[in-house]
Amino acid sequence: MDSMIHDMADRLFRDHVTHRLREDAASGQFPEALWMRIEEAGLAMALVPEAAGGFGVLPGEALGLVRLAGAHGLPLPLAETLIANAVLAGANLALPGGRLTIAEGEALRLERRGEKIHASGHLTLVPFARWANRIVTNAVLDGADHVLSLPVKELALDPAQDLAGMPRDDAEVDLALTEADVGVVSRPVEGMRALGALIRSLAIAGAMETILEMSVQYANDRVQFGRPIGKFQAIQHYLATMAGETAASRTAAEMAAVSYDTPAFALTVAAAKARAGEAAEKVGALAHQIHGAIGYTQEHSLHHFTKRIWGWRDEFGTELDWTGELGRAALSSPHDTFWHFITDSAVQGAPA
Amino acid sequence: MSLTAFPPPPSCTDYDDLRQEVRAFLAEELADFPPEKRAESWNGFSRDFSRKLARRGWVGMTFPKEYGGHARSALERYVVSEELLAAGAPVISHWIADRQSGPLILAKGTDDQKRRIVPRIAAGELCFCIGMSEPDSGSDLAATRTVATEVEGGFRINGTKVWTTYAHVADYMILFCRTGKSDDRHGGMSQFLVDLKATDNIQISPIIDLGGEHHFNQVVFDDTFLPSDALLGEKGEGWSQVMSELAFERSGPERFLSSFALIEELIRLLREDATEAQQAEIGRLSAHLMVLRQMSRSVAGMLNEGKNPSLQAAIVKDLGALFEQDIPRLARSLVSRPAVPNGRDSYAAVLAFTELAVPSFSLRGGTREILRGIIARGLGLR
Repeated sequence: MDSMIHDMADRLFRDHVTHRLREDAASGQFPEALWMRIEEAGLAMALVPEAAGGFGVLPGEALGLVRLAGAHGLPLPLAETLIANAVLAGANLALPGGRLTIAEGEALRLERRGEKIHASGHLTLVPFARWANRIVTNAVLDGADHVLSLPVKELALDPAQDLAGMPRDDAEVDLALTEADVGVVSRPVEGMRALGALIRSLAIAGAMETILEMSVQYANDRVQFGRPIGKFQAIQHYLATMAGETAASRTAAEMAAVSYDTPAFALTVAAAKARAGEAAEKVGALAHQIHGAIGYTQEHSLHHFTKRIWGWRDEFGTELDWTGELGRAALSSPHDTFWHFITDSAVQGAPA
Repeated sequence: MSLTAFPPPPSCTDYDDLRQEVRAFLAEELADFPPEKRAESWNGFSRDFSRKLARRGWVGMTFPKEYGGHARSALERYVVSEELLAAGAPVISHWIADRQSGPLILAKGTDDQKRRIVPRIAAGELCFCIGMSEPDSGSDLAATRTVATEVEGGFRINGTKVWTTYAHVADYMILFCRTGKSDDRHGGMSQFLVDLKATDNIQISPIIDLGGEHHFNQVVFDDTFLPSDALLGEKGEGWSQVMSELAFERSGPERFLSSFALIEELIRLLREDATEAQQAEIGRLSAHLMVLRQMSRSVAGMLNEGKNPSLQAAIVKDLGALFEQDIPRLARSLVSRPAVPNGRDSYAAVLAFTELAVPSFSLRGGTREILRGIIARGLGLR
């Protein structure tokens, strides 16, 4: 690994994120001690400017932490907190510390009532809401995008979970916010959906790398008909297909990560979420086929990863949402040819 | 280096001027070049076009200046390559020489070979073909039977090569054959630089493909004499020399843009009025294309740094072939219009040509099965 912060995070996750910890988290136990370590290491601040407590690394490297968290099946809102802090910093709001999460806020209504701003509406399937102190989202006030920092203790939560048993709670919002919780953004922010899609794409890529590694290991170890099953061409081709899908997803997610905060982000993140979501289907299915019945048990840790990628592909826009977005951009592009749209997508972003 | 990590390539905005120059050149040169000719993709042959391209400095771009090249980076070459392919320009006359034979001669050739051959490649004057497959040696390259026997002043070649693309017009062949016995299956192989225009006792006969096209040939060597200076690189090192060419051969944009003419035709039809389902399919295609391009450019970046990303190249080719082979199915699922070979309607003609071309995409340059075996071993299967 060529990044010190990746190295540090990978060691921390390897030492502490065990099968048991993931099992306990899925049955509702919040892994507080591990969160404390992550917070002490400052990982959730990686994407904020150095002056605000960040590491002063490029977004591609900071966001690489999300891929690593995915690779370990971390049952904590590190990715969400990382993004939330960056959004708050971008809107010049105070960084409250602790666990944060993000939500798509399009359904929220904001109105001025005297000195205060009243927010109301419903947020659905907010990741880790019950374990978070604040939900960071955005909504429109006076015709402009605003960033909101909503204190979770003042919201009514209706608990639910994703396929991997991680909290995904609905939140009823009906509260008065002070100026300290509402930030005007100096330039248009990417919607929360795009930022959420970015972290889910990276996490899917990381989890798929682990799934691939587990599958190679299993194919080498499991003996049937007198030889390791990895000697069979059918199994080799499954693994090669998984490697291709995983490599494509990681490349796609990293393409979006390095274009974070640039005009190219809108299209690269659409491609990343669509590509990784599609790959999650194939990679999960082939991993289970290779592992056979043991991989279908709770005892084996494969399910922590396959359930995560299947859950993550549904969040912050499904493949259908993102391919629709990308297709509309391609077909309405003012470029002479489709090729010009493709080459520009990597540098210019969506047509105005 | 993890097999699933493709480091982000340097930004391509640096080469925007180059891209615009190439586009302007192509707009003029190919103004009257019809879609059904563009559908031939990099199999289109025009010596004239290759020479014109060379005069602009766009052949042998990465070769050193002292051999007629332009000392530009692999990423600049990449920009030119992808623009040529996206436009469906007829490039095969220089393509193989520019992509792998020239770099091979530069890496392994004698000074005399470099001086004699490389400047003419860079001038767009030489067409190369690759003599690898044989009637009994397709995917199993180590089963090669063509043999070179050392004689006074050179070698005598006996054997048959097959599926040799454009041998009937090519000036040179890079011949892969056996020069000795070895306990190692991969030992005792060598490469030769065969001057097809000046060598006697070579019989080249056409093999017509299922689309009626003449790309393939059978090439019979019957006691053919090659002078000693035809040996390319080290005697007995042919296997490792061939393997080092593969990253160049397998990772380029020609591994996912072969059906691009059909994509442009399809999008032309859908632009005015597309349903949501059609939009989503075009979005999926766009996502795949954006990602393949990023992976392929990443490999170009690694090649530029002198690495050997042959495993990553195998992944690009495997995914790329799946993508370009899927385009006729995708087109047929979105537009109900029959394929008509050489039809007046350009969509129908391009669809027909592409449908008949796609089965070859996962055969040429390493079959899907071979690539997946290579990838699986690269993953650490014992």
